[in-house]
Amino acid sequence: MNSHLTRIGVMSAVLAIVLLPIYWLVSTSLKSNREITQEGTLYPHVPTLDNYVKLFTQKQFGAYLTNSLVVTFFSVAIALVAGAMGAYAIARFRLPFAMERKIGLFLLTLRIVPPVVILIPVYLLMLKLGLLDSWVGLIATYTAFNITFCVWMMESFFREIPVDLEEAAMVDGDSRFGAFRRITLPLAAPGLAATAIFAVLVTFNEFLFALALTATPRAMTMPRGTATLIGRIDTDWASMSAAGVIGALPIVFFALLVQRHLVRGLTMGAVK
Amino acid sequence: MRSRKYRLQGAGLDLALPYLMLAPGLLIVLGVLVYPLWDGLRASTKAYRYGSVVADVGMQNYIKLWSDPQFLNALWVTIEFVALSVTFEAILGFALALFCLREFRGIRLLRTILIIPMVITPVVVAIVFRLIYASDAGMLTAISEWTGGGQVQILGSPVKAFFGLVVLDVWEWTPLMFLILLAGLQSLPHEPFEAARVDGAGNWRVFADLTFPMMRPVLAIAIVLRTIDAFGTFDQVFVLTRGGPGEATRLVSIYGYDTAFKFQQTGYAAALFVTIGLVVLALAFSAVRLLRRVDAS
Repeated sequence: MNSHLTRIGVMSAVLAIVLLPIYWLVSTSLKSNREITQEGTLYPHVPTLDNYVKLFTQKQFGAYLTNSLVVTFFSVAIALVAGAMGAYAIARFRLPFAMERKIGLFLLTLRIVPPVVILIPVYLLMLKLGLLDSWVGLIATYTAFNITFCVWMMESFFREIPVDLEEAAMVDGDSRFGAFRRITLPLAAPGLAATAIFAVLVTFNEFLFALALTATPRAMTMPRGTATLIGRIDTDWASMSAAGVIGALPIVFFALLVQRHLVRGLTMGAVK
Repeated sequence: MRSRKYRLQGAGLDLALPYLMLAPGLLIVLGVLVYPLWDGLRASTKAYRYGSVVADVGMQNYIKLWSDPQFLNALWVTIEFVALSVTFEAILGFALALFCLREFRGIRLLRTILIIPMVITPVVVAIVFRLIYASDAGMLTAISEWTGGGQVQILGSPVKAFFGLVVLDVWEWTPLMFLILLAGLQSLPHEPFEAARVDGAGNWRVFADLTFPMMRPVLAIAIVLRTIDAFGTFDQVFVLTRGGPGEATRLVSIYGYDTAFKFQQTGYAAALFVTIGLVVLALAFSAVRLLRRVDAS
């Protein structure tokens, strides 16, 4: 009985700590600025959707959302295709000088270095190529980052699939690549999905490179656009909280939808 | 096994296949990450003025770093931030994982809810905490006024702002610790625990003699992962405090960003980031060494 009560106590404490801040964000976003700063209410007494309408009619949030979706889709898709092939080669082939193992280790090393380290040279590169403030510049950058961990995650998934299946397909007349495409790839689908989900999460949420590489609604992503709003008008809490809700909603919804696949990516395969 | 893999490689076009499959990914990574890395190394030995190179200064930028009080302060703030946050996250995450080890109703709900903080866009996490800390519109102020108190000031004071940042990080990342450690706990073998119970060992004995030693490798991995990640923290600080008040929350990433983009000292900033990269890599490699030794013993 006693332990039952402790359980309920700890559970409610954890839920409160996680959910109260989020409640406050959502509740603030439904208040007017006057109610927020002057009345200090604990819940919206006069709920309004004005703050949200304003984001799309006056603050270009439609453009930010489009940019985010386009950039995320292409950089994840390209990284998945290139990464799956690379991961398969590393998992299955033995090259001279153990080259495949060295490449794998090299990509892992790149993954460990904090992205901020190459911020300046990537900025200079995009400046030189005229790709600042464009989809292409962001997509190229995010694709490269995604490849480093896609290869690493997917390699372990390919290793778990028995070689015999590919051999059988090849005995039946399939080419090596055909066996990969028709046999291995479908079997690795759950692993590919987990990798893709993690990549979507990281890419959609990325801020640092979006901050340095974009400057106008032509290419600004959601996190970048939200941050701009804060820089300009420091005390427009109503817009800020609505922007926060809009910025987080797609990704939280997505994460809850696919949560089963998510945990492995988040824990970076630390525990299988 | 080995000979079978060679047999699989076949002949003709199949011999080139591994290279063809590796090429696209490698080319993108070489172009967008490795070339800039090399470029960054070169830039770190130059002096810039208004975005263009004015002189070749060799290692000067690197030497200057270690007598730059702002850099040393940023480094120290970063170390304090990482150490404090990761310690709290490890303790809370471990406690919560132990608590959730026995299956009970509601645990699935708890796990679902705990995913939210770490998937929310970091920029939005910072907005959430600004809304909590704000002296006029903040949750803390609202609660304090509701209970008869006055305004609560957090982000205006250096010490409180720093701890406010630590609380943000703990809120955001304790769930990750929890998930890793829970998975680790669930993968431990049952027999030793049953034997200890039969021998009459109490909860504390079981934890100190069995659970903790067996969990050490997983705990170490979790701490290393979080430490490396926390070292690069940028988004949350940029939105929450922008490094202030004063230099109280100015992490190395923020200082480097300002040096490059606000003060246009590209070469100096590049040297700063190369140094940070080396520190993190050294940290990672020594952690891997340490883990191997733990595994072996």
